[in-house]
Amino acid sequence: MIRLAKSSTQREVLTHLSAEQTALEIKNLDLYYGDKQALFDVSMKIPKGQVTAFIGPSGCGKSTLLRCINRMNDLVDICRVEGNIALQGSNIYDKSVDVAALRRRVGMVFQRPNPFPKSIYENVIYGLRLQGIKDRRRLDEAAENSLRSAALWNEVKDRLHDNAFGLSGGQQQRLVIARAVAIDPEVLLLDEPTSALDPISTLTIEELISELKEKFTVVIVTHNMQQAARVSDQTAFMYMGKLIEYSDTNTLFTTPTQKQTEDYITGRYG
Amino acid sequence: MENLNINRHISGQFNSELESVRNQVMQMGGLIEKQLGDALAAMADNDIELAQQIIAKDKEVNQFESNVDQECSRIIAKRQPAASDLRLILTIMKSITELERVGDGVVSIARMVIENHGQVGPSLIGLENMGQIVLKMLHNTLDAFTRLDLKAAIMAHNQDKKVNRQYESIVRELMTFMMEDPRIIPNILKVLAAARAIERIGDRCKNICEQTLYLVEGVDVRHATEEEINSFLIE
Repeated sequence: MIRLAKSSTQREVLTHLSAEQTALEIKNLDLYYGDKQALFDVSMKIPKGQVTAFIGPSGCGKSTLLRCINRMNDLVDICRVEGNIALQGSNIYDKSVDVAALRRRVGMVFQRPNPFPKSIYENVIYGLRLQGIKDRRRLDEAAENSLRSAALWNEVKDRLHDNAFGLSGGQQQRLVIARAVAIDPEVLLLDEPTSALDPISTLTIEELISELKEKFTVVIVTHNMQQAARVSDQTAFMYMGKLIEYSDTNTLFTTPTQKQTEDYITGRYG
Repeated sequence: MENLNINRHISGQFNSELESVRNQVMQMGGLIEKQLGDALAAMADNDIELAQQIIAKDKEVNQFESNVDQECSRIIAKRQPAASDLRLILTIMKSITELERVGDGVVSIARMVIENHGQVGPSLIGLENMGQIVLKMLHNTLDAFTRLDLKAAIMAHNQDKKVNRQYESIVRELMTFMMEDPRIIPNILKVLAAARAIERIGDRCKNICEQTLYLVEGVDVRHATEEEINSFLIE
C-alpha cells in the first residue's frame, strides 16, 4: 500500500524561520462569521521575499485567511477574529493599529481586475495621490517604475492618459498589480489573480509574480493547483477551515504527508 | 489495485488511463518472465528452436516499452499527475526501461545457446542454478510491484546478493575450465557473457525494487546501504 511520506527535516524549516526571515506570523487564528467558525486555530510563518500559495477546495477558508492579513474582514459586520497575525513582529490586530496604514503595507489584488474609471496613469498613482504626493516628477517616476515591475510599461507607455477600461482583462489585472505595487507595500496579497484570465495572460501574470517576489513577500490564493506548483515557494493546503499541511512546494506536490492533501492534489474523492 | 486507489479519482477517464498503463506493465512483466523461463529451458535442453523463438519474441517486449512510454507521456501532458500518481508514472517509466533490458539479457542467453550448439563446452549446471534464482527474483520483483508490497520488494532486493555470489563462483569455475583446455576458450567466453547477462538481470530486478520502494514510501533508496533499506521493514 502506498504510504504517506514521513515529515522530514525539510518541512521543519518553516517552523524554525528566524524573526528576520519571517514576513508574517499567524498564531492560533480563529475566525467566526456570526456563530459559524470559518478558521480553526491556524498557525503558520510566511517567509520574507518568497511566494506562498494557499490551496484548497471552495469554502475551505483560504480567501478568508488571506483577507485577515490586511484586515479586509473588518468590513464584514458579523466577522470576529481571535488570535493574532504579526507583520514584521507587531500584531496587526492590536487596537492601536491604523488600518489604512496597514493596507499601505499590505497591498491586495482581487480575482476580477477592478481599475478605477480613470486614465491608466491616474490609476497607478492613485495611492500616492491619496498620500498627498503632488511632485509631478516623483509621480511620473513612480508610474513608470510600477508599470515596469508589473510588466505593462511597454504596452501602455504611449497611451498613459487613455481610459483604463480600454485595456484587455490581462492588462487590467497587471494595471491593478501596478497600482498595488506603486505604494511600495511589504506584502502583496493576490486573491485568485488569474481566474478571470486566458492562459497566455495567466502565464504573463505568473511570470510577473516570480519577479515581484524579489521586492515583496507575495501571498497568493489559487484554485489552480498547477499554478500554485509553478509560482510558489511554499504551499499551504487548507480544508474545512483548518491548515492541513504547509511545506515547501516541491515536497508538497511530490510527497505530501497528509492523506487529505494527497487526495486533493491528485484529484481523488476526499 | 485497492491499495493504489487508482479508481478513486474524480475523473473516470484518468482512472482508466492509469489502469490501462499499469495493466500493460504487468503484461510486459509476464511476457519477460516467460521469456527468461524459456531461455533457461532452452539452455538446459540445448533447444535451438526455442532459442530462436525467444529472440523473435523480443520485438514484442520492445513494443511494450514504446507503448507504455508513449502512454505515460500522454498522461503527464494531459493530467499533470501529482504526489502518488506522479510517483506511479515515474516508477513505471523507469521500470519498463529496466524490463526492456532484462529482455535484452534474455536474448543474450538465447544467442549463447544457438552459438554454442553442438560444440564441446563447459557444464552449464551452475549457470542454470543462477538462472533459476534470478527467475524467482524477477517473479518476486514483479509481484512486489503489482501488489505495492514494501516487504516483498525488500526481500527481492536482498536476493541480489545471492546472485552475485553465484556469479563469482561461476566465473572462477569457468576460469579453471579455460586453463584446463584452452581450445574451448571461445565457447567459454560466450558462456561467460550469458552468465554476465543473468547477473545483470538480477541488478535490474534490484533497480525495479528500489523504484517500488520510491513509489510506496516516497524515498529515493537508489544509493542507500542495505541496512538503510532494511530499516523500512522495521518501521
